[in-house]
Amino acid sequence: MSSTVTSTRRMTLRQSLALVWRTLRSMRTALVLLLLLGVAAVAGSLVPQVGTSNARILAMFRDHPLRADIYDKLGLFDVFGSWWFTLIYTLLLISLAACLFPRTRAMVRNIRSRPQPSRELDGMRHYAVRPVAAEPERAIADARRVLRRRFFRVAGSNGGGPPALAAEKGLAREVGSLLFHWSFLLILVGMVWGKGTGFTGQAVIVEGQTWTEAAANYDGRINEGRFTGDGDHSGVRIHVDDFTATYRIPSGIPEDFVTHAALYDANGGYVRTVDIRVNHPAEIDGVKFYQFGYGWAPVVDVRQDGEPIASGPVVCTQGPPPPGVSALQLPWNCVVKLPTLTPQVGIRFELWPDSRGLYALLQTGRAMPMLTQFAPVMTYTAYRGDLRAELVQNATVLDTTGMRRWKQGVIGAGETKDLGSGLSVSFPDLRQYTVLEVKRDRGLWIMFLAALLILVGLLPALYSSRRKLWVTAEPDGRGSVVKVGGFALQRRSQFEEEFAKLVDELTGTSRDRVGAL
Amino acid sequence: MSTEQWSRLSTDAFNVALFAYIAGMIGYFYYLAFRRQLAWRSASLAAFLGLSAHALSVAARGFAAGRVPWGNMYEYSSLLALLVVACYLFVVEGVFKVRLLGGFVLAFSVLTMAIAVMFLYVGPGPLVPALNSYWIKIHVVAAITGSSLFALGCIVTILYLAKDRRERRSAAVVAPIMGGSVDLDDAPPHFEAGADEPVGGATRRGILPPAAVLDRVAYRTIAFAFPIWTFAVIAGAIWAEQAWGRYWGWDPKETWSFITWVIFAGYLHARATSGWRGRRAAVIALVGFASLLVTYYAVNLWIVGLHSYAGV
Repeated sequence: MSSTVTSTRRMTLRQSLALVWRTLRSMRTALVLLLLLGVAAVAGSLVPQVGTSNARILAMFRDHPLRADIYDKLGLFDVFGSWWFTLIYTLLLISLAACLFPRTRAMVRNIRSRPQPSRELDGMRHYAVRPVAAEPERAIADARRVLRRRFFRVAGSNGGGPPALAAEKGLAREVGSLLFHWSFLLILVGMVWGKGTGFTGQAVIVEGQTWTEAAANYDGRINEGRFTGDGDHSGVRIHVDDFTATYRIPSGIPEDFVTHAALYDANGGYVRTVDIRVNHPAEIDGVKFYQFGYGWAPVVDVRQDGEPIASGPVVCTQGPPPPGVSALQLPWNCVVKLPTLTPQVGIRFELWPDSRGLYALLQTGRAMPMLTQFAPVMTYTAYRGDLRAELVQNATVLDTTGMRRWKQGVIGAGETKDLGSGLSVSFPDLRQYTVLEVKRDRGLWIMFLAALLILVGLLPALYSSRRKLWVTAEPDGRGSVVKVGGFALQRRSQFEEEFAKLVDELTGTSRDRVGAL
Repeated sequence: MSTEQWSRLSTDAFNVALFAYIAGMIGYFYYLAFRRQLAWRSASLAAFLGLSAHALSVAARGFAAGRVPWGNMYEYSSLLALLVVACYLFVVEGVFKVRLLGGFVLAFSVLTMAIAVMFLYVGPGPLVPALNSYWIKIHVVAAITGSSLFALGCIVTILYLAKDRRERRSAAVVAPIMGGSVDLDDAPPHFEAGADEPVGGATRRGILPPAAVLDRVAYRTIAFAFPIWTFAVIAGAIWAEQAWGRYWGWDPKETWSFITWVIFAGYLHARATSGWRGRRAAVIALVGFASLLVTYYAVNLWIVGLHSYAGV
């Protein structure tokens, strides 16, 4: 009794597995999944996505909290990274593979076998009978040569009867189609391998500094793949000589951003000098450097009673500009923290790389775009108190909760200002820093290969057509009667013309030969 | 010649082309309705004149800006319209010998050019750094060729749907009215002008080529466009890898070109599936065309993304 139950259950399990497999194998399932992928992509392009439109997502949370919450739960703010998007394309690729395995096996079988002979030519869609001067063997041998020259696969008949042959052409259609479809699985391989063992990070490098490619030097601005380890970082070095941003004046339309740099290998050996621009990345040891952004880094020198306590370039940043204002019109912000002093001191700087920008704002109330460095000037506000350094803090933000405002002023390039209590600040130089996107992707060549195979496969899959042809010859007086039958599986109307031409050629060659003798 | 002179030449030639296309469109529609050889001759003459002026306009624009003439939406639209007309004249009329569709094709180009000149016009100027790459030649040329062929295929598809509907109706209705023996399994009845027409036959006269011909022309054009579009997407990915450091980032332009690709891939599969050939497949092609329009207009103008600067 119990054994019957288990066997039934086992059967149903096997049956249901077979059903799932059958469903996955059907082209309709694959097409439905492809359609779903398209629909999901539409959603991903209409709903603001994390990474590309963060501001719009925040605005939605503010204005329509309920809707934003539902969207968030459904993963609509990160469609392309959501579990259901991954599920759709994984299922699609499994379904694709399930379709392709049997097709590939059939294809291989088909290539190995030879065209099958047939005797019932008059039932074919296309059929012609012609007398020729040559005897049957000769006529068939000629036909074979003609068809071979036209890239038909030809097989002669074996086992008695009058001479005959079978021919076919257009296997490229199926081969191309299979190549095209398999390549999508190759894309998955390239993507997983490349992203899994690679990384994308951002390096902030001030002019004159050297930066070493290692996980610790990204200041957390790095995304690593699941299998990326320290061994995947290259240790190459890049020395930035100079960064130049060119704008068209007066429109402020960007013209060029260039980082002039020298590359060194992991042992410190000089490799070459490069200009990194938008669209022109530099590559060394499989690591690529892309021009990503830039900013200003004033050199600030702080002294206590003439002794330097903080000195060097300080990286300034900008917040997002309010609507209607260009980032070029805004000043740059940075912070210097002096935790060794008692009481502790923090100085906030606001940098105007072109001092005319500040004066224009003061005089007219409207800032002008600062396109180049011109008599740079900084306003500063010094605070005294507790920096609260024991809390995790952003280096570019000053937390003034435990501090009191102490001194305020303006400092121009080359000037020194006394803050009192023996503390002085000087601004000897203004430099720029460049932000380079640093990237390693070992799967790129696989992706490239897959893309190439997609195109190579697509052309015969769309334009080639499968055609079959049979020829027999029977003796008739001194010559013979040639019968030709055939059909095309695709492009039938075109085959009609081709068939007529082929028949002429198949029977005409023999005639010409006789004429020439 | 100076930049201003080239620029003016480009604008003038553009206007000449636009009016020549309008004249050609009227001529083609007249030919469609009344089948006068003269109408077709003058219409195609006007279309060829327009095409020459249009080519001059695009070239002059390139000289005025000192770069390839497809750097912004106005230039892209103009080139798209040019390629649609060129493909029609050389492929549909030249190769397929189908002459009746010129009016619809020219109407599409006139509309595209009118939108370009009214809403998208900007003066010639250099490219922003992100567009300054030799990939702009490869990627954009492929995208624009693919789009113009898709557009052409879809115009023919619309006509196919109209004609197919008419043929079905007449196949169902005409036979009893004529009282003769019309073999419904054969090709649908096609009446020459002035032939022995049934009552009310004027409306049933075959204005357009037979549906089967339209269907074939539409399919061939789309099947020709598909690999080119595939190549455009791949070239875009390679360019993105160079410019932005990633080959695919689901930027709206990338997403929509992928959606368009998926829909036309669906169309090609539908054509190979029994029960989906004909009208259903045609509807898929039209959805694909709608998606193409979104890829081009909506993404550039309304959806914020990395391709936004490629806009107006």
